[in-house]
Amino acid sequence: MRKQRLLSLLSATSLAVGIIVSIPVVANAAPACDGKVPVQSCAGVTSDGAPYAMMVPANFNGTVALYSHGYRYNVDIPAGIPIVGGYTITNTPEPVPGGNMTVAGYLFSQGVAIIGSGFARQGWNLDSALATNVELIDTFKKKFPTTQKVVAWGSSLGGAITQALAETHPELVSAVAPMCMADISVNAELTMAGDFLWGVKTLFDPTIKGGNYSAGAAGNGEAITDIVKVLTVMGQLQAGVSSGAWPTTSSATGKALAAGGVPSRSALLLLGLMAGLPTQSAHFDSLSGPAGALKLTFPLAVSPALAILENGTNAAILAILATQDVELQAGGAIFDNTKTDYSARVENEKVIYNAALSGNTVINALLGALSAANPGAPRAVGNAAAIAKMNKLQHNTGKINVPTILMVGVADPITPAGASQLVVDKYAAQYAAEKLAAFKAAKVNGFVPVRNKLLMLWNQTSGKGYTSFDPTTGSPLTSTPAAQGTNHCNFTTSQLLMVAKTLVSAGQTGQLPTGGALVTAVRKAGSLAVDPLFRAPLLKYYNEQN
Amino acid sequence: MKAMNRRKLFTVCATIAVASLAVTAIPAQAAEVGVSSSEIKLGMTLPMTGVPSAGYNKIPAAVKAYFDYVNANGGINGRKLTLIVKDDQYVPTLAVAKTNELILKDKVMALLAPLGTANNKAVAAVVNPGARGIPTLFVNTGYSGFSDKKKYPTTFSILPSYIMEAKIMAEYIKDNFAGKKLGLIYQDDDFGDDALAGFKQAGINFDVKVAYASGSQSGTTAAGWMQKLQAGGAEVVILFGVSSATAAALGTAAVMKFAPQWILGSVGGDATTIKAAGVPAGVLYNAVGASFAPATTDTTDEYVKLFQDIYLKANPDQIFDNNVMVGMNTAFVTAQALKAAGSNPTRKSLIAAIEKSGKNFASAALVPLNYSTTSHVGYNGYWFGKYSPTGDLKPAGGVYTVYTTDSGNGAVVKSTYKRPAMPAKGLPN
Repeated sequence: MRKQRLLSLLSATSLAVGIIVSIPVVANAAPACDGKVPVQSCAGVTSDGAPYAMMVPANFNGTVALYSHGYRYNVDIPAGIPIVGGYTITNTPEPVPGGNMTVAGYLFSQGVAIIGSGFARQGWNLDSALATNVELIDTFKKKFPTTQKVVAWGSSLGGAITQALAETHPELVSAVAPMCMADISVNAELTMAGDFLWGVKTLFDPTIKGGNYSAGAAGNGEAITDIVKVLTVMGQLQAGVSSGAWPTTSSATGKALAAGGVPSRSALLLLGLMAGLPTQSAHFDSLSGPAGALKLTFPLAVSPALAILENGTNAAILAILATQDVELQAGGAIFDNTKTDYSARVENEKVIYNAALSGNTVINALLGALSAANPGAPRAVGNAAAIAKMNKLQHNTGKINVPTILMVGVADPITPAGASQLVVDKYAAQYAAEKLAAFKAAKVNGFVPVRNKLLMLWNQTSGKGYTSFDPTTGSPLTSTPAAQGTNHCNFTTSQLLMVAKTLVSAGQTGQLPTGGALVTAVRKAGSLAVDPLFRAPLLKYYNEQN
Repeated sequence: MKAMNRRKLFTVCATIAVASLAVTAIPAQAAEVGVSSSEIKLGMTLPMTGVPSAGYNKIPAAVKAYFDYVNANGGINGRKLTLIVKDDQYVPTLAVAKTNELILKDKVMALLAPLGTANNKAVAAVVNPGARGIPTLFVNTGYSGFSDKKKYPTTFSILPSYIMEAKIMAEYIKDNFAGKKLGLIYQDDDFGDDALAGFKQAGINFDVKVAYASGSQSGTTAAGWMQKLQAGGAEVVILFGVSSATAAALGTAAVMKFAPQWILGSVGGDATTIKAAGVPAGVLYNAVGASFAPATTDTTDEYVKLFQDIYLKANPDQIFDNNVMVGMNTAFVTAQALKAAGSNPTRKSLIAAIEKSGKNFASAALVPLNYSTTSHVGYNGYWFGKYSPTGDLKPAGGVYTVYTTDSGNGAVVKSTYKRPAMPAKGLPN
């Protein structure tokens, strides 16, 4: 739905500002510009066939902001399927987040140009998008030779593409802002979604294929069928939240647990926890309850499962479509949980959510049912060659070469905050090493201070809770807008403006804001925090890497 | 920016240090979060509302009463003690949110007596006071894991662990109820698991075990517990749960006319709370209970007398009970820790002071504190007694027979600990 909204916004923006002038059909031809004032729009196609858009204000000051859009599905999805139905593959350029005209207007007012591509292929496209962006920068500089600084930003997979650009071509960018960035490893990202999908298949519907999809149209059909099955399961789980009833499609293992009195909501919550999904979602904060008898019981026993229901639905769809796409690129099944110790993964969570998980007896029953020792819960076996090939796809290291602004929602269910935390951790080590090197070098060349190159902005959820309830029935309301800090790349215009402003400034000065300036900017943006001591949990994938 | 702040603070410190040469009564300026020249701020999370809050919601007033007493007597090195309390409703996720508020918004120096095993574990995992150097003093849970200094470097236990309690209780059972059919009601989480580990260590096998998920306790669920215990023929039943679960069990059993020999764990054994929940005092009569502090009705005890005087003066409409006693004793130990942390206490010096001197802090308890540079274990023992017809826990034969042990495989031994006399006026030396 969000994707659709973004696309429609983008479409509206295109109409409004006339981004898409007649796109030249010849790849790598010079961009065609309309020459309009105060903002001229240019369009073209890179040598790999990726369409792009450029918007350059008349007062262009030499700085251009390159935006990389996020993951777009690489398969058409028939209309009628909830959430994602009606999507068709598109490579429409997106030069500013979600076609946000306020952000674009701000940048134009500062004399900053904006550019962005729709990329040559959709799906997991880090390799091709990186090449496209490198070419696009060169094309822009040739067309606008007064260009002095290039800053880059992007959302979701576009955040990872932006980070890749800064890591591999630091000479091309002066500052970057990866937002709600996908993890530096495709394997880590897809493991999170894959673990959840495997759990759903194992307990609630064993006919879900869950991976190892066929090539071509057959594979597309299998993936779409899986989405329908997952959505059906989720619908039944939602209906059974209070009663604890299990979906009618549940496996023998699931039915045995149901017969043993395990509520389906506890099983669902455990799947989310072992995958590492946030327990706060767009509408469920795991903190608040309705007035009356459920004031305590709801946040303690029910809300976390409903949060997983909201977040897990998105994660499962990602698992299906992204897994299918990466499998196509890698040549076989890429999800493998034969060695995963799900029990170890929930060591803390089983205490924190003990009541919602219905106590240790139920937790132990669930973990026993999901253990590798249970033949009723067969593990997914990946194709070693395909996994090796997947690992050779472009991945980031987390190295920070240029001033970098990261921003992520602490309860983002698709690109969890832990993905950004990993970069923060890596940079802490990098910064310490750089300082040590500077001290050593000082003996010879004099001390050159090492500047901090990373600003981490956490988009927080409200500590006071945000779930709202019908005053008459006490039922939770899900028609309200998604709360801050939740959902995927759910940023306000104020937050995007703060990032844009900081990004441009960092690109031009080489410095990130500190002190009062930073505090003021953060306060104005709203809901953001720069607490250096805040820690988001890393993706669960890294449990198995130590 | 950090460097500039530090320079500014150094300048301020230097200025005040010079000034204090002339006016020694003015405390030196401290450079620590939550510590000003006139105040030390501490924060507490616990259930203040909702079913599980019963009894425990009296603790903040008990702590405040003692802090006010200290403040009225000059504070700690001239600084008054301020307690900021947040209601977490016994919900771990809420404990995380409220602890974040205490640290980031209220800017407390330390967390004091946060309640609940799951809540403390949630805070440790998500907020991570240990990595941030924030002291978590005297957690209000007996979960044995919190004295693991490596895992929780800034956390200090104070209550004897549930493993210790179960081991000592097991000896009591062997001595007094050998051959009887045993039943156990326990919370189905780490709190309960600790108890199970202690009973196992002591070689106790239960004929009937009833586990309840935290938050599920009610009259309705308790009826199911009783049916199971009755069906299993339990003659002696141990209630190892929170107050609300204990009250639900006793109240329901009375209605069902099920009257085994009850043994109440210390967590849920406060008579005032049980009676306030509607359980007649008679139901408690002859039940076995445990405590590490003197009986709250024992006004011959100098601590009980002082604490009672202070508390009832501040809260004349309340009853001085075991939760109040524990709260005031925790406040008393806290005041000593802050005093020992020096004239300009910091988070670091506070932790160091407890590690260095904590085992010598005065305390109302009849068992010793066990703090050292290698141990964050608080008390380590209990005495057992029986509830009187009015529902007051009193030592058997009027004499406190105290047993101590550890959370490992150490033996349960009769304690020879002699509690030192209370410092003058019950104030830190």
